[in-house]
Amino acid sequence: METLRSTAIWIPLLPLIGSLLVGAIGLRWLKDRSHWLVIGGVALALVAVLSVVSTVVGEAGRAHNVDAVAANEGIELAHTSEHDSKLSESFTIYKWMNMGAGSWLDVSFRVDQLTSVMLLVVVPIGFLIVCYSVGYMRDHHGHPERGYERFFAFLGLFLFSMTVLVLAGNFLVLFVGWELVGLSSFLLIGFYYQKPEAAKAARKAFIVNRVGDFGFALGIWLIYLTFGTLDYQTVFDSVSLAMRFDGDNYAAIVPQLQGLLGTERVPDVTAASALVLQVQDRITWIALLLFCGAMGKSAQLPLHVWLPDAMEGPTPVSALIHAATMVTAGVYLVARCSVIFAASPVAMWFVGSIGAATALFAATIALTQYDMKRILAYSTLSQLGYMFLALGVGAFDSAVFHLYTHAFFKACLFLGAGSVMHAMDGVIDVTKFGGLKKDLPITYRTFLISSLALAGVPLLSAFWSKDEIIHAALAGNMPLLGWIGLLTALLTAFYTFRMVAMAFWGPKMLPAGVEHAHESGRWMTVPLMILAVGAVFAGYVGVHFKSGGFLGFLEPHGTFHHFLEPVFAGAKVVLAAAPIAHEGHALMYWSSAIAFLGITNAWYFYTKRPTIPGAIALASGPIYPLFKNKYYVDEIYDAIFVQPLRKLGRFFFGSDRYGINSLLFVIGNLPRVLGFGLRTGQQGAMQGYALGMILGLVALLWFVLQG
Amino acid sequence: MIALPFLGGLAVFAFSGWSPDMVRRVSMGVALLTVILALVAYGEFDAQRAQLADNGVVLVEDYALDAAADSGLPVILRFKLGLNGISMPLVLLTALLTPLAIWASFTGIQTREREYYALMLLLFGTMLGVFCARDLLLFYVFFEFTLIPLYFLIGVWGGNERRKAANMFFIYTLSGSMLTFAGVLYVGWKASQLTGGVMAFDFATLSQLAEQGLLSSTEQWWLFLAFFAGFAIKVPLFPFHTWLPLAHVEAPTAGSVILAAVLLKLGTYGFLVICMPFFPVGAMQWAPFVGVLALAGIIYGALAAWVQEDVKRLVAYSSVSHLGYCLLGMFCLKMSGMTGSVLYMVNHGLSTGALFLIIGMIYERYHTRDMAKIGGLARKMPIMAFFLIFFTMSSIGLPGLNGFVSEFMVLLGTFVSQQADDVATQGGPYGVWYAAFGATGILLGAIYMLFMARRVLFGKLTEPEGGFDGSAGLTQDLTGREIGILVPLAVACIWLGVYPKPVMDMMEPSLQPILATVAKVDRSQFGEDRHAAPGRAVASDSPTFASAMDGAPGTQFHHNHTSNKIDPNHIGENRRLTRVTAIAEARSPLKGEGRGEGTVPVADEGRPYAATDRVVLTDYSAAAPSRTNQEAR
Repeated sequence: METLRSTAIWIPLLPLIGSLLVGAIGLRWLKDRSHWLVIGGVALALVAVLSVVSTVVGEAGRAHNVDAVAANEGIELAHTSEHDSKLSESFTIYKWMNMGAGSWLDVSFRVDQLTSVMLLVVVPIGFLIVCYSVGYMRDHHGHPERGYERFFAFLGLFLFSMTVLVLAGNFLVLFVGWELVGLSSFLLIGFYYQKPEAAKAARKAFIVNRVGDFGFALGIWLIYLTFGTLDYQTVFDSVSLAMRFDGDNYAAIVPQLQGLLGTERVPDVTAASALVLQVQDRITWIALLLFCGAMGKSAQLPLHVWLPDAMEGPTPVSALIHAATMVTAGVYLVARCSVIFAASPVAMWFVGSIGAATALFAATIALTQYDMKRILAYSTLSQLGYMFLALGVGAFDSAVFHLYTHAFFKACLFLGAGSVMHAMDGVIDVTKFGGLKKDLPITYRTFLISSLALAGVPLLSAFWSKDEIIHAALAGNMPLLGWIGLLTALLTAFYTFRMVAMAFWGPKMLPAGVEHAHESGRWMTVPLMILAVGAVFAGYVGVHFKSGGFLGFLEPHGTFHHFLEPVFAGAKVVLAAAPIAHEGHALMYWSSAIAFLGITNAWYFYTKRPTIPGAIALASGPIYPLFKNKYYVDEIYDAIFVQPLRKLGRFFFGSDRYGINSLLFVIGNLPRVLGFGLRTGQQGAMQGYALGMILGLVALLWFVLQG
Repeated sequence: MIALPFLGGLAVFAFSGWSPDMVRRVSMGVALLTVILALVAYGEFDAQRAQLADNGVVLVEDYALDAAADSGLPVILRFKLGLNGISMPLVLLTALLTPLAIWASFTGIQTREREYYALMLLLFGTMLGVFCARDLLLFYVFFEFTLIPLYFLIGVWGGNERRKAANMFFIYTLSGSMLTFAGVLYVGWKASQLTGGVMAFDFATLSQLAEQGLLSSTEQWWLFLAFFAGFAIKVPLFPFHTWLPLAHVEAPTAGSVILAAVLLKLGTYGFLVICMPFFPVGAMQWAPFVGVLALAGIIYGALAAWVQEDVKRLVAYSSVSHLGYCLLGMFCLKMSGMTGSVLYMVNHGLSTGALFLIIGMIYERYHTRDMAKIGGLARKMPIMAFFLIFFTMSSIGLPGLNGFVSEFMVLLGTFVSQQADDVATQGGPYGVWYAAFGATGILLGAIYMLFMARRVLFGKLTEPEGGFDGSAGLTQDLTGREIGILVPLAVACIWLGVYPKPVMDMMEPSLQPILATVAKVDRSQFGEDRHAAPGRAVASDSPTFASAMDGAPGTQFHHNHTSNKIDPNHIGENRRLTRVTAIAEARSPLKGEGRGEGTVPVADEGRPYAATDRVVLTDYSAAAPSRTNQEAR
């Protein structure tokens, strides 16, 4: 395992080294060759990832075999944490913060199946996007944009931060990665810092994320307060223990409870159950507070406002950070803490509801937007909502599966939009161009494939993952969420093809000032094609062949889910839910129909009868403006939070300035001297005082010394 | 180490024939030599620490002058210097920042260089003195002496309103110290019970006082208040902070740097090494109150910072906000909080000091700090932009940089404060809600600092008329000298952010005894005390906050908390309270002797505080020659 450890450390370090080198010498020496260092760093990191993942897969396979053998021989292997943790490897890198009495918070990493999946999403897609950027960050003559090296330095920094986030072995390191991706996102959104909107969007992203992180930090402290540690495994084990307590197994559990909770003696069952109740109570709070962080990072209601604005950043950034990787950190967090969430029905309900609400809400906004990148941003919000919906109904593996498939097709869509934008000289408003099908053939085809995937067309990647989620929701105890999911699926298919129709179909139209549309170069098209292939086939790791399945031969819940099983085993035990049966296939046919319905409608509305949408918008009364203006959330926040706080700040500052003396009477005699000194001409008074003071000091000294 | 800057300063002052360049070079040389000495001291400290693991104090000097012996006065004046794990990081901070501040003045200061650098060196020596002093009287002398150089630095080389600012700063901090001085004398007199009738101020002796039960809890309550007056103003704790923004805005760059980075820490340092170990009971009685003020300061400072147009004032208010964390961490009775608190002192010094330096660099180029007049500078000054973003991130606690570690530790300590552990068997005075309110500072900090960064660096390029002023040999972006100033600070920020273990290891043995002393205090006894003493209503709210987390997270607490901050009734009450204190301070030495009534004329006049005030002020009017006035003009 020593090799695993040393390899894992290099995964974040390599991009960081590349990034730092570019930052240090890029501007002066590397110039338009700056990308090589970062590409090299990420490529090496990719090798390291593959090595780590193959180790984990190998281990998992071996453990699986042991299980199978044991099952064959009729031996029941208890699914204890010790057994599971063989599949995961945690290691401390160094000691970081002193908590007193010899206990430290460490910098530690953990490698397990979930980490592997996340690494497989982050690093390969990161690599493709870094390559794409080489083409994107240049003009048509191949000259790099201003700040070229800065861009690559930031990308490297982002990949460092994101890999730290997913490799973290405790909540502290997770938080570090969490904040660092926030920084990278801030820097990259604000890349075109001279554009006031970009600068503003960057700041907004950072601050809204901080709102979430505020809750996240409180959650982490509450974990420390409750469990006396921030280490993942210890915390999860403690939660499982606390949830398993039922009075009968008191004797078996209490010694462990004592060790874990850092409490003094637990004398009897009553005290123990009181303690356990308190812990259970806190678990709900912990889950909700952690979820605050997830809402910020994954832009869920009501903290979603930063993500659409974040589209001011360069398009590769939108694809990498604001679609494929960083925004899924919230999903990762909840999946990672599945035991904690599963232990709290309230938290599960909350997560699921927020997810469903965001999915629907964002889809309605996406119906009315004209900026391609913003449509995709709202679509991202909506898809992230699906993931949270899945988490909320306990389908953790489906959520991670959707995260994984989404990364491919959404990155491809964003990069496609970027390719269009590149060809249109920076114009991205779909009303300004159209019919680009012929001019941008590769972009069009890849975009179309990913759009079909997003719309949920059968046999493409998102079909499998989205369908699983809806299935789980309908089968669970919150079927309403499933119905919302279905409705959103219809809207998704519609808005996706509305965009495709407006941009690629219909008569050709170019924005003013653009003579011809050029297909992008190799640096850009090759990543597009690779991602499009992923958008088609990525779903097949999650299905298996079985006669009598969907369309007669396919059955959901494949290798991918088995691989992740140990990670969510604890949560499954706590949830005590019956495994979701994947027998009925009716839903799959229904959702296919819904996808086609949405697509054909969009095609009809926007290519055949372009007058219909306008008529509907007019007929809808206040609803269309409400969607179009994003439910006025920004305006509401400004009025409720920002302005009052600013006013309070001004009031405070004013009271500092003008109310000094009255306020300072708090300290009784002191301001009196001050006020007097200031009032009666500055220096003169002090001399006047001097005599009195000397006398006073002498008097006091005399008294004291007498004694 | 301490003497060298003094001598250097005097030398610079004395050789009137030196050219400004010469003066600069000599003072920089002296400063660097001092740094080397500080590093030598650190090496020695590190070497000896292994052997002295128990108390963690490594003595460097002890001229235990029984100066009183021949004059017949029953006082021991000791010139006792030493370093422990708390003062060592602060000494290193001082030694890092002062030379940089001196270096940064090379272009900014073009008048009266001789006096300027002499005062800077003088200040340097004094600051080192404060942190090294192991005798209360000596500490006090150094503590107060820092005022004088800074008074001149602001008053002579400051901005337009420099005289008002200097006077306000001087009078303000001085008035707080008066009560402190009374406290110093009282403690010394009390200590005479331990030393056979001779007043003593040695730290080692004083720490015995409370331990041996020679200070009743009421006495400690008053004494804490007396020291609180001096330290809280220095910190500055809300609502005693109003001098700070003005002083910062008017001070020359180096003055601001030193003020923010080091001088404010004298207050927090004082709380930690004097108030807590010497009056543990008093400290715990006051802790909830201090905590509420710290929280109020965190939020108040942050909101006030947000509405500033002047960059420097914005950063000044951020100091008010940040220093609240130091106090929160200190009194939370958790090792993590205390370690974080000391680290916070250092970290705040690094990042805020650097921010002031950068603002100074901008000011030298554009002669304005008004954010309405400058903007979009990233385009013209990319290197400056890098550093400004870097230190902004350090200031708002981005992980990987120094601010995060200390902030996280302080708030974690505060959060878990209630929980009993081996050291603090009763748990600490704070709790979940203190931390929750404190954490809003993280959020607000990001808001106002990024607001500043966006306006100064991003958006459309805006310059005052005439563009930048390169008359002092400045280039548009930072010069090599300026980069040289900022790089060491940046390196220190990264080091403390990524691997602070060496510093933490250094601090732990010194913090341990303080923590143990304070943790021993039985806080349950305060219940009765509270009824006995008048006007302690503010402090008495603490159990409400404290118990809030155990039940449902209380809205009730929320209500209490906010009302504490602005409720005029409480303020009124508090005022009454402090007046009472003043009377008690004047009287108590006599009372202790049992021959109280009537012999103190001031007490009979009904305005006893005036007399006390004068007593201490003398010290300074006498020390600061009347030349003050001319200089200031």
